[in-house]
Amino acid sequence: MMNRHVFRTGWKKGTMLALTLTFGLAVAGCGTATPTKDGAPANGSAGQAEAASTDQKLVVYSAGPDGLAKKLIAGYEAQSGVKVELFQGTTGKILARMEAEKTNPVADVVVLASLPSVQGLKKEGLTLPYPDAKNADKLNPDWSDKEGNYFSTSASALGIAYNTKLVKTPPTSWADLAKPEYKDQVNIPDPSLSGSALDFMTGYLSAKGDGGWTLFEQYKANGVAMAGANQEALDPVITGAKGIVVAAVDYMTYKAKAKGEPIDIVYPTEGTVISPRPAAILKSTQHEQNAKAFIDYLLSDDAQKLVADASLLPGRTDIKADKRANLDEIPLLKTNWEWMGEHGSDVTEKFTQMFK
Amino acid sequence: MGGLSVKHIRAWCLTLALIALLFLIVMPLLQIFIQSVYVDEEFQWDAPFRTLAASPFAGVLFSSIWLGICVIAGTTVLALPLAWIMSNTRLAHWRWLDVVLLIPFMTPPYIGSMGWILFMQKNGYLEQLFPDLYFLTPSFFSLGGMVMIMSLHLFPFLYLLLRGALVRIGGSLEEAGAVMGGGFLYRFRRIILPLLLSAYGMGALLIFVKTIAEFGTPATFGRRIGYEVMTSEIHKYISSWPIDFSKATSMASVLLTACLLMWYAQSVINRKFTYRLVGGKGSRPSRLRISGWTTGLSVAFILLLLIASIGIPYFSILSASTMKLRGMGLAWDNLTLDSYKELLSWGSESMEALLNSVFLSLGASTLAVVLGTWFALVIGGSRTRIQRTVDAFSLLPNTVPGIVMVVGLILWWNSPWMPIPLYNTYGMVILTYVILFVPYTVQYVKSVFTQVDAGLFQAGQVFGGRLSYIFRRIVLPLIVPGMLAGWMMTFTIASRELVGSLLILPPSVQTSATYIFAQFEQGQVSLGMAMAVISVGMTTLLLILMESLNSRRKWK
Repeated sequence: MMNRHVFRTGWKKGTMLALTLTFGLAVAGCGTATPTKDGAPANGSAGQAEAASTDQKLVVYSAGPDGLAKKLIAGYEAQSGVKVELFQGTTGKILARMEAEKTNPVADVVVLASLPSVQGLKKEGLTLPYPDAKNADKLNPDWSDKEGNYFSTSASALGIAYNTKLVKTPPTSWADLAKPEYKDQVNIPDPSLSGSALDFMTGYLSAKGDGGWTLFEQYKANGVAMAGANQEALDPVITGAKGIVVAAVDYMTYKAKAKGEPIDIVYPTEGTVISPRPAAILKSTQHEQNAKAFIDYLLSDDAQKLVADASLLPGRTDIKADKRANLDEIPLLKTNWEWMGEHGSDVTEKFTQMFK
Repeated sequence: MGGLSVKHIRAWCLTLALIALLFLIVMPLLQIFIQSVYVDEEFQWDAPFRTLAASPFAGVLFSSIWLGICVIAGTTVLALPLAWIMSNTRLAHWRWLDVVLLIPFMTPPYIGSMGWILFMQKNGYLEQLFPDLYFLTPSFFSLGGMVMIMSLHLFPFLYLLLRGALVRIGGSLEEAGAVMGGGFLYRFRRIILPLLLSAYGMGALLIFVKTIAEFGTPATFGRRIGYEVMTSEIHKYISSWPIDFSKATSMASVLLTACLLMWYAQSVINRKFTYRLVGGKGSRPSRLRISGWTTGLSVAFILLLLIASIGIPYFSILSASTMKLRGMGLAWDNLTLDSYKELLSWGSESMEALLNSVFLSLGASTLAVVLGTWFALVIGGSRTRIQRTVDAFSLLPNTVPGIVMVVGLILWWNSPWMPIPLYNTYGMVILTYVILFVPYTVQYVKSVFTQVDAGLFQAGQVFGGRLSYIFRRIVLPLIVPGMLAGWMMTFTIASRELVGSLLILPPSVQTSATYIFAQFEQGQVSLGMAMAVISVGMTTLLLILMESLNSRRKWK
């Protein structure tokens, strides 16, 4: 169809001009795409124009639960007048986004659902210490950083959730689930997707030593199935496809139970693991004062009350929750967070291989 | 003729297209390759190879490819008879079916799989309705079940391509065959099949690529049966601590290579088997293929297909969206419309998410059609090397898992030296959708355009038509159906796009897909399912509206 020679010369002649033109076009093209931002539904998004004068902005990346994160943001906005942009996702999603934004970070504060990840951020020097945070002395010292790199403002405990229609006599210890009466009935969250499930595994192993693996081997032999992240493991139990979740996050169970679903939770007698939910300021923050004020707010009485109302364990030891078991009512294993942080990826790999 | 010759304009367009593609697609992907050879900020050229050697990689790759092949088979079994029915029998007048048949494709894959799981699992809806059928459960939770779910999701895509091709083949060629004494099977084998092959090759390739790049079904159903594929492995490295982009990108590079090989094979087939079908003469459907009893059989086939692809999953989705307590199962006193009331209240978060989705996908699909048509016209018959390069580049987004492409886009648009401040704006979301879905328009327009005989343009020139006139009066009317199909596809998928949206949406902004995902994560399954019903319902209404406007204009 096309004469090659003519095409070539035409191509050469036009190249320079074409290059110039294209870059013009690319810029113009994007220029036309940008106004869509302003033309899009007016939800008060990113008002850069008015935020120019004083620092009235804060970007928070927060792991669920959804309702709580929004209430906390609303509370802080009302108190400070700062406009918060919230990105919500699982701990994994947040970390992935931070990694992709590494060269040009956007977030000021992160709230994660996993202590080892935030310890990792600290080790890489990504966190900004804030030792003067108000009320930090009232926080549970085991869950937060002494130098103020991160503050666990809430926590969940891990237990055994079960469908009350299917399981009449609930198990009382982790070992019970290896019994024949629970064969093929049990889900366990995937530690590569659920930070809290991993906390349980590493916590259990750090308390029991290598002998702890026997429990998981027995689980495997008894048909325990590895099933996605926390909610994915819990859903089949609510609908009755399975009977039990081991290493279930307690606040999710409390929430479903409060709705009236046929579900309940027990904490095994030999003790369980707590999974703290740390908040940290990133060193790259453009809004340091607001970020610090936000941490102060998370540690305030008001915010801690919101945490307790969401069926989570408050991070401060002096605040009690009335919709759930408090810390002193939950038997605990003697866990070692140092060991847990170091061995997370090995345990994940060994466990997921075993349960494949 | 104007100042510039046709050839000059062609060369210009080609160069411009190439540069645009380099800037929009190739550079972001290059960022991924660069990432894969940097481990801990150190250059290690062999890092990808070590990753592949260390991981259970071969097995996962094989699983992906095997799944892709099975799904091609599955979609063919569903789409080929359907395309034949819809181009040759009286049922072809049921234009509404075209829209209805898009519903499975509009349903987000993870929602469709959830629907099937809820229906088939132990104590699921099937068992609650027909307790005697409980024995089906174990056989459903297998690779076969996964292939079925994915085929039922993807077949509309192949169907649209095949039907388009069958309509263009028209009746005369086949009648010629019949006059010469060829029986039905002979005619099918020697006339229809070869003519169909290029469209089928294109469709099968895209099905394959879509399957091995799909994340939703492996993440919901595959995880349940322990069937791991490349995307789930990549997703693991990209979303759990410690994040390892270099491992993920190494795997993505292999996936990309596999897809490019497939693409090459397809383009060879395509070049060998493309025929000029749309000449000056009009065409009409073949009368030979219509007979009485086929109509009955066709109706039965379509009915079964609708039950499997829409009936069952939507029964589950609707049931789940109207349940007070999920633990109580199917019961009249467990029925409530509260989720819908909550979703549709004006000014609510969900309403905002819904509107965001609509506007973003409208913008994206329109832009994608313009860009895609331009690329497709420039590619033409893929004769020169540059044309083939443009072809390959424009297909790239469809050959990498969405999540990888999106990470590349973030790396590219959020780099410190990028002068265009697009990152974290709605513009970025639109651009991402455009880039992810532009291959659809390219494919649709290309498949129409390559079958148009050059004689038509030459005729236009002979009669003194200017370039713009030829384009407006000859090319455009011929490719409009392809553009429309591309627009519809892009709008449909963009409005349910999940993986990219999860990563690229500016903070505080949600779309219907991310809203649904968040509800599942939070345990609000009924809210999520209700949102799925509403957003798919809205897309369907929009398509029906378009279809009715379209049939009023009636081009032939």
